[in-house]
Amino acid sequence: MTVTRTLNVNGAEYTLALSPSDTLLDVLRDKLGLTGTKKGCNAGDCGACTVLVDGETANSCLLLAAEMEGKAITTIEGLTQNGKLTPIQKAFIHEGGTQCGFCTPGMVLSATALLNRNPSPTTDEIKEALSGNLCRCTGYTGILRAVRRCDHYRGDTDPSGEAKKERTDEGGKRAKHDTVGVSIPRVDAADKVTGRAQYTADLSLPNMLHGKILGSPIAHGRVKRIDKSKAEALPGVVAVITGDDVPETMYGVSPARYDEHILAREKVRHVGDEVAAVAAIDEKTAIKALSLIAVEYEELPAVFDQMEAVADGAPQLHDRYKNNINTHVDHTFGDIEKEFAESDHVREETFTGNNVYQSPLEPHASIATWDHDGTLVLYSSTQVPHYVQYMMAHVLHIPLGKVRVIRPTVGGGFGGKAATSPLDLCSAILSKKTGRPVKMVYSREEMFHYGRGRHKQHMKFKLGVDRNGKIKAFKSEIYLDGGAYSSFGVATAYYAGSVVPTLYHFPAYKYDGFRVMTNKPACGAMRGHGVPQPRFAFECLLTMIADDLGIDPIEIRRRNAMTPNTTTINEMDIGSCEFAATLDAACEKSGWNEKHGNLPPGRGIGVGCGGFVSGAGYCIYRGQVQMSHEKGREHFQKRSIFPHANAIVKISEDGMAAVLLIGAAEIGQGSDTVLTQMCAESLGIPSSRMRIRSEDSDISPLDLGAYSSRVTLMAGHAVSRAGEDVVNKMRPYAARMLGCDEADVEARAGRMFVRWDKDTKSPTQSAIPNPQSAIADQQSATDDVAWEEVARQYFNDNGPLVGTGCYKPPDGLGGDYKGSTVGTSPAYSFGTSVCELGVDLETGKVKIDRFTDYHDCGTPINPRAVHGQVEGAIVMGASETIMEDVQYDAKGQILNPDLHGYLTMTIKDAPEIFSGIVDSYEPRGPFGAKEIGEGSTLPVLGAVAHAIANATGVWIKDLPITPEKILNALRDKR
Amino acid sequence: MYMPDIELHEATTLERAAEFKARYAPNARLLAGGTDLLVDLKARRINVDHIVSLNRIDDLRGVSQTKDGLRIGALTTITQVGNSQLVRDRFSAILDATSRMAGPQIRNVATVGGNLACAVPCADLPPILTVMNASVLLWSPEGERRVPLETLIVNVRKTILRDNEVLTAVDVPTQPPRYGAAYAKFSLRDGMAIAVASVAAGLTLNKDNTICDARIVLGAVAPVPKLVESAGTLLLGQPPGEAAFRHAAEIAMKAAEPISDVRGSADFRRELVGVLTQRALKTACERARETVA
Ligand SMILES: Cc1cc2nc3c(=O)[nH]c(=O)nc-3n(C[C@H](O)[C@H](O)[C@H](O)COP(=O)(O)OP(=O)(O)OC[C@H]3O[C@@H](n4cnc5c(N)ncnc54)[C@H](O)[C@@H]3O)c2cc1C
Ligand code: FES
Ligand code: FES
Repeated sequence: MTVTRTLNVNGAEYTLALSPSDTLLDVLRDKLGLTGTKKGCNAGDCGACTVLVDGETANSCLLLAAEMEGKAITTIEGLTQNGKLTPIQKAFIHEGGTQCGFCTPGMVLSATALLNRNPSPTTDEIKEALSGNLCRCTGYTGILRAVRRCDHYRGDTDPSGEAKKERTDEGGKRAKHDTVGVSIPRVDAADKVTGRAQYTADLSLPNMLHGKILGSPIAHGRVKRIDKSKAEALPGVVAVITGDDVPETMYGVSPARYDEHILAREKVRHVGDEVAAVAAIDEKTAIKALSLIAVEYEELPAVFDQMEAVADGAPQLHDRYKNNINTHVDHTFGDIEKEFAESDHVREETFTGNNVYQSPLEPHASIATWDHDGTLVLYSSTQVPHYVQYMMAHVLHIPLGKVRVIRPTVGGGFGGKAATSPLDLCSAILSKKTGRPVKMVYSREEMFHYGRGRHKQHMKFKLGVDRNGKIKAFKSEIYLDGGAYSSFGVATAYYAGSVVPTLYHFPAYKYDGFRVMTNKPACGAMRGHGVPQPRFAFECLLTMIADDLGIDPIEIRRRNAMTPNTTTINEMDIGSCEFAATLDAACEKSGWNEKHGNLPPGRGIGVGCGGFVSGAGYCIYRGQVQMSHEKGREHFQKRSIFPHANAIVKISEDGMAAVLLIGAAEIGQGSDTVLTQMCAESLGIPSSRMRIRSEDSDISPLDLGAYSSRVTLMAGHAVSRAGEDVVNKMRPYAARMLGCDEADVEARAGRMFVRWDKDTKSPTQSAIPNPQSAIADQQSATDDVAWEEVARQYFNDNGPLVGTGCYKPPDGLGGDYKGSTVGTSPAYSFGTSVCELGVDLETGKVKIDRFTDYHDCGTPINPRAVHGQVEGAIVMGASETIMEDVQYDAKGQILNPDLHGYLTMTIKDAPEIFSGIVDSYEPRGPFGAKEIGEGSTLPVLGAVAHAIANATGVWIKDLPITPEKILNALRDKR
Repeated sequence: MYMPDIELHEATTLERAAEFKARYAPNARLLAGGTDLLVDLKARRINVDHIVSLNRIDDLRGVSQTKDGLRIGALTTITQVGNSQLVRDRFSAILDATSRMAGPQIRNVATVGGNLACAVPCADLPPILTVMNASVLLWSPEGERRVPLETLIVNVRKTILRDNEVLTAVDVPTQPPRYGAAYAKFSLRDGMAIAVASVAAGLTLNKDNTICDARIVLGAVAPVPKLVESAGTLLLGQPPGEAAFRHAAEIAMKAAEPISDVRGSADFRRELVGVLTQRALKTACERARETVA
């Protein structure tokens, strides 16, 4: 049945043939091509699909398009008139209101509706108006600021002017750099506030099919028989594949543990485990076909808890993992027995974590198509295009060079998009089989079943200190609930131990880690990879000990704080370290000394610390870049075989634009922006002259991707070296034009000139006036030439002006023991968070009011971007501490695979945040920079837990700290 | 989560709506804002082929004053109720429920009729409106009947509505002097969250400051909104205060029939009922006093 309706969308009338079941969202996206309206949940929970209906907000996923006749519908595309942004759009750009941008169209529309009826809303009114829009990136801080400050953008604001002003405000005097250290707006912000940014699910190719995957309904079982004939017979179905139709090659993340089949062979190991896949003319038909595939299972006993799974007699998931132990880490450093014996105070506590899901707002999506020359072209919402390329080559048995991965705009990852997904694999295989492009998009529920969230860890910790609170020995025994497959888990198990000693000096340290298989979706790497839960537990234990000894919790941290240029007990090389400064600053700024110990019942203040690697020291796979079948398993070498980050910068022939080509994955964290800044700085041109192309492996050279907080440091080096390479090529020309030595040529702010001696404020040698200079500079016309003129002269003689740069982590990182590579990094970040909150002692409800955070991230390349990461991490971290947990029933079914049951903080729940950066310079980082993306999560959990303990008098040692657990603990105490 | 195929019948009159619904029953559902129904259809919690839309029946929209009190048309949205001056001035306890329901996008679309007729245990309006002695008007071609709101919902997602019946309005009687009501809701986050437990309470004070009438209704802790008459009876003649409210709360806790689910255990819910009952009574009492202050 179809009906014909005329819809008024953004002022234009469209007469459309609709199915009565079409939602407005699907019609806008699929029929009108207005893909700025996003599908985040399809159930009313996220607000990404917000549109205005007669001026008021509504979720278009819950409206029937057929009912919309006679209503004026406005989508994000309808806000800008003749290309002019509205004030609120400008405010979002300049105030940090957008990161990955997936929530942004909805946010902007909710803000627009509010401001139209109430031009000067109060903070509470803003929060109320935006409370139906979830954001996973910004912590809502930049969004709130944008709406509050919208008035400032009513005129024609010049963005570069704004950024400059901020720069001089912050720096005082003329800064060392022109672009680095400046809070320029994100380079992709304008696309994101207008709905122009295209995410994978927004794309469509001619003749495209739509695919869906059939997941197992049971948690553990043998696949006896699959009958796909009925599904194949359904009109509109083009292909149905099962385990028999796909390569047998197993895949995964850690090369030693490739244990996943593309589609189940023999066994399924968790609810949702992939069994079959369908390609059909549309998604609806594909979903219908799934229900027609008859699968006969022999159900096997299943196990859902890691402590039960290691017990004798527990159901075994994989033959190769005895007692379901997938990874065992056994690390001892120093004389642990002696140090404990010499400790004045020893305390032992057990903590448990939660199964947190990244829940990026954008669902995973892939589109695969094959070129006639046999090249696979894969569009994927991934944070690791290179590893996807590597894995596709591995599984499909084709050279890496025959795999082209395109990463469209990505709506957040947080580790959830750091592995090759079943969508990548199945879309490629279905596309090969059908000879047509195949698109596959996860529903929110499927995202939960695919999993790869945080490992739930069971942690038995023992800490010994002397009477002054100096740490003597620390012993940690951790059981990680890994789910059904390895994925990142081997590294997770090592990280859970290796990044604990980077914050405090440990004379002795023992870590026993067991990653255990259970019949649940595989866990993976989530923001802070493996470390947040041990960090939470350690911070709690350290504070408990401080309380036992009557030492102030911040003071005990000062006494143990890591110091610069230290090799930790597990042989991690700490370079720059301003940890103590973050403690002092957070203490001072939060008013800690006045508040701690002086708050009434129900009010609490807490401290937590943390830090992380600035990029993993080693590649995930060993050996060089080639298809892994071409070689046996390489043995380990203590150096990088190939550069982990690579960049090309290409100057336009008129010298007016520089295009930066790099494979670093922008997933919302802001890498395109900071890489642009660093490259512009080294080129000596304003960032406004730069464009970045980071989305296509055919265009940009290899970068290992957005994981382990590696991009700023590693890709940053590559892009600044590429910039320097260009400047070096220009030197002879500039020197000739300026009449100076090549070595004395300096490029800055779009000019090339003779280097000024910094003491005498005069040229290092007398510069000869140059009549050829195209654009005369006001102050020293004779001493400089326009950058572009030099570039043109280079081009006239040599053709393309291109520079390249690459980065390899230093050789020899880490110790010589097994697993010593995990946790190695060129540099480490440090931070301290202070949390203030209230607890309703009758209901257990926690209201987090304020966070004060100071970080040592080295030199901030873009301070606003740093604060944006911190703000996002605080809200995400606070949310996982008090409300997030994937819950299962006794049969392994997820009870809350949606945003209705799996709650993340809304803008009304988010605390007020002060984010500060301490002075720091990392010699191994580009321009002195380190990381902020993941390290910012780490202090949060412990700070919240401590503040709750401080408010209630009871420590809750298992996450999440729900109202119910608080009430139970209070009752037990009475 | 995707829409099944449906046939959409857009009724322009109540007669047509009733006719469609009766013709296809039980394979049909009425559609108002759709914020409940579309989710249920997508999740396959409801499987019907026919959807009868009420949205073209404009008579069902709006808040008005009747000689006995307040009338809210079934299609009035939650936002419209919240913005109504009449509600704000004279029935403001309803705002306790409307202001904390879902988020703005849902409130702009979700209707009062839908919130009552969906018969979902955690719905926010049934407890407070029941406390305020509301009744609903049920229309069918045979005529209109009025029933007290507490009799509308008979089980989880089940009402007394007949196949050819439409809920057209809810009436809330004018409140006597020295009357106050309040709705206390506990949810796991501050924005966009449904009730884990909720309690609505209403009471009228005598001139001598004793309680002459009290009603307590529990939400989200039983298959239906639970009117705890014994708790109300207990309060009669008592001076309002902590002791009396605690006693009423104990009765409410006993009356609750909570379940355990992802949002909390039955024990936790029961404990919340105790706290929320006292809070709702306290606020209701303060409001009762304000009416004469
Ligand atoms: C994200 C989200 C958050 C939510 N949060 C809350 C919350 O905090 N509190 C809360 O109470 N609810 C909440 N809801 C549920 C829902 O929004 C409300 O119950 C809403 O009031 C339903 O109204 P509607 O008009 O959308 O109903 P519809 O979905 O149109 O209908 C609901 C049911 O009622 C029937 N019906 C509707 N109108 C009539 C009528 N006039 N006569 C007879 N039957 C009728 C329909 O047949 C259907 O079975 C939430 C929903 C979503 C999606
Ligand atoms: S997609 Fe509509 S609310 Fe999430
Ligand atoms: S910017 Fe809000 S979800 Fe990413």
